[in-house]
Amino acid sequence: MSRKYVDKEELEHRIRRWAELEEEARRIRREMADWEFIEKQEPRIKEALKYYIEKGDIRRASMLAGVDLEAFRDLLRKARIPVIV
Amino acid sequence: MSVSPRIAIADTCFIIDWARYRNREIIFRVFDIVFIPEAVLREIKSGTTITWVARWLASGKLSLYTESDDEVEESRSLIIRSRRISHMIPVDLPEALCIVIGRRKGYTVLTENKGAIMATDIFDEYRGVIVWRALEILLTAQLEGVLSVECSDSSKVFKEYEEDTLHIFPRRDLIEAVSRIEQEICRQRGART
Repeated sequence: MSRKYVDKEELEHRIRRWAELEEEARRIRREMADWEFIEKQEPRIKEALKYYIEKGDIRRASMLAGVDLEAFRDLLRKARIPVIV
Repeated sequence: MSVSPRIAIADTCFIIDWARYRNREIIFRVFDIVFIPEAVLREIKSGTTITWVARWLASGKLSLYTESDDEVEESRSLIIRSRRISHMIPVDLPEALCIVIGRRKGYTVLTENKGAIMATDIFDEYRGVIVWRALEILLTAQLEGVLSVECSDSSKVFKEYEEDTLHIFPRRDLIEAVSRIEQEICRQRGART
């Protein structure tokens, strides 16, 4: 078995493990989120919050919302969306 | 006998949550110096966080890290690699810099950015980087006596952090941390009484 093959297999294993953890985090974010608050937001903020719930990627979510990282973190708190790390 | 100073470098996601924690000052009893890269400082905007950062920058316990061109170049390469892997949360410059500097200087990287934690697991050359979340700081603070432990509720310190920040620790990691507190602190207390 080539070294390259072993590395690829190991990499896939690590990525799969992270994907499983992220799936669990996504479920918790969906359950804990204040959907009433989210639905009341202007479209840009609403979509950014939904994106965060699905992807857990705070940087791209804050860019979508058009606010800085810290302001978006505050929006997550208001929407009761937990950061799970 | 001299003891090496314990040095950390913190990213934005860590700083903006930690600055809201009721016992945030304990970080300077766990670490001798905490660096923040200039790229991280530029992202900090709120009054609460700026006040906390400015106070500790003035004291010298928090220190600004000016990244070199070489460190920025390596960080950009890490950013590109992270974006090529599907299912991976990509890293951006502030946290990529922390990882690169952590590897080069041996500093503990403080982050709450999942992409940064993934990167140090997925890319072999960064696997040796020590990455701590708030969870590891709170655990160490209790094991080293910086924070007192209430053995009647050994998860109290972690719960307080979760309440203050609306940051949730993965349950499996939390159970493991609480179990260490119980074994290494509470069991010994019980044995002495």
